[in-house]
Amino acid sequence: MDILKTLCEIIMEIMDVEGQTITAETYLVRELGAESIDLLELSVSINHHFHIAVKDDDIFLRNFRLFLVEAERLEKEPTSYLQERFPFLSAERIMEILTDLETGPAIKIKDLVSYIAFQRKG
Amino acid sequence: MNGPRDRRKGLILGGTCELALALASRLIEKGFFPVLTWRNPDGCGKIDAALAKLSGRYETGRFSLDDPLSLETLFAGEPGFDFLVDFAQGDYEALVASADEDRIPAYFSENVVARAILLKRLTREMLRLKQGRLIYISSSAAERPAPGHGFYAAAKLAAEALYRNCGLELAGKGITSVILRAGYVKAGRGYAFLEANPEIIRQVPLRRALEADEVAETILFLLSPAAVGINATILTLDGGLSAAKTGTTKH
Repeated sequence: MDILKTLCEIIMEIMDVEGQTITAETYLVRELGAESIDLLELSVSINHHFHIAVKDDDIFLRNFRLFLVEAERLEKEPTSYLQERFPFLSAERIMEILTDLETGPAIKIKDLVSYIAFQRKG
Repeated sequence: MNGPRDRRKGLILGGTCELALALASRLIEKGFFPVLTWRNPDGCGKIDAALAKLSGRYETGRFSLDDPLSLETLFAGEPGFDFLVDFAQGDYEALVASADEDRIPAYFSENVVARAILLKRLTREMLRLKQGRLIYISSSAAERPAPGHGFYAAAKLAAEALYRNCGLELAGKGITSVILRAGYVKAGRGYAFLEANPEIIRQVPLRRALEADEVAETILFLLSPAAVGINATILTLDGGLSAAKTGTTKH
């Protein structure tokens, strides 16, 4: 199953994104305007289509900033600390997010793809 | 009528209580398919005895709020509950200042925490169906507890809040909720209480307790498409008791 293709179909079905092109680099919140209820539906749909357990806080990187603050408080190296919390993200992707946080929610479609692939591997 | 399609398959939590059995009979008569939960084999037997003439038109399943495994079992089969009517409630009567400290966390874990997890699981299933109706059977004691009802009332109020928010958050996706606070009903523990305290009825403007079938009829209406606008709110079914100041119903 092509995860990205299926995921894009799910997003098109759930959200009002007519006319927008969705790629792995598309921002879920910043560009597509996903709200909390959309994320909930997305989570339910991912669970159903990919037969994986979905933890909403993880897949949508909800506590990313909280863990970043926690790493600073504990004097831990942020990237490795965050990678422990989000093992489905690569170190490169975490560094990318760290440079992108100030502009708003940094989650992209490719992060969801990473989560799904990670969960499917078990 | 432009409303959600008729809801057919429903989960009845606390399926062994008299009200649940009265409701199940009416639901089956109306073409619904209830799944009633029980906590122990005696409860299962009670359901089967009460619904003996309706065999094959309902199911039963073990479920206990204090047993996470039973939650897994409940959702292990073919999903698709169109509605939930929740009668389940553990009882713990004690003055707050004299409560057993070991029982307090267990009581709230069972009646609030486990219920929140159940609601999370169920509403996610309903989101897939894009419809669902949640009815929580609360009690007038949530609003007007007697001494000794502090934990019961606190658990009821917390559960009410969870149900209300489900309706608030998910109505746009076809899932609505309503809380029904029942007053004096001639059923179960209420019946025993009324037998022991017949004078209490004088405080009820209606001058009588409600019959189990009357409550079941009210729930049937709340499950109907016509009641979909009654969402994320609390209805009181107590014959007017909570509207009156104590001792002022005579004139």
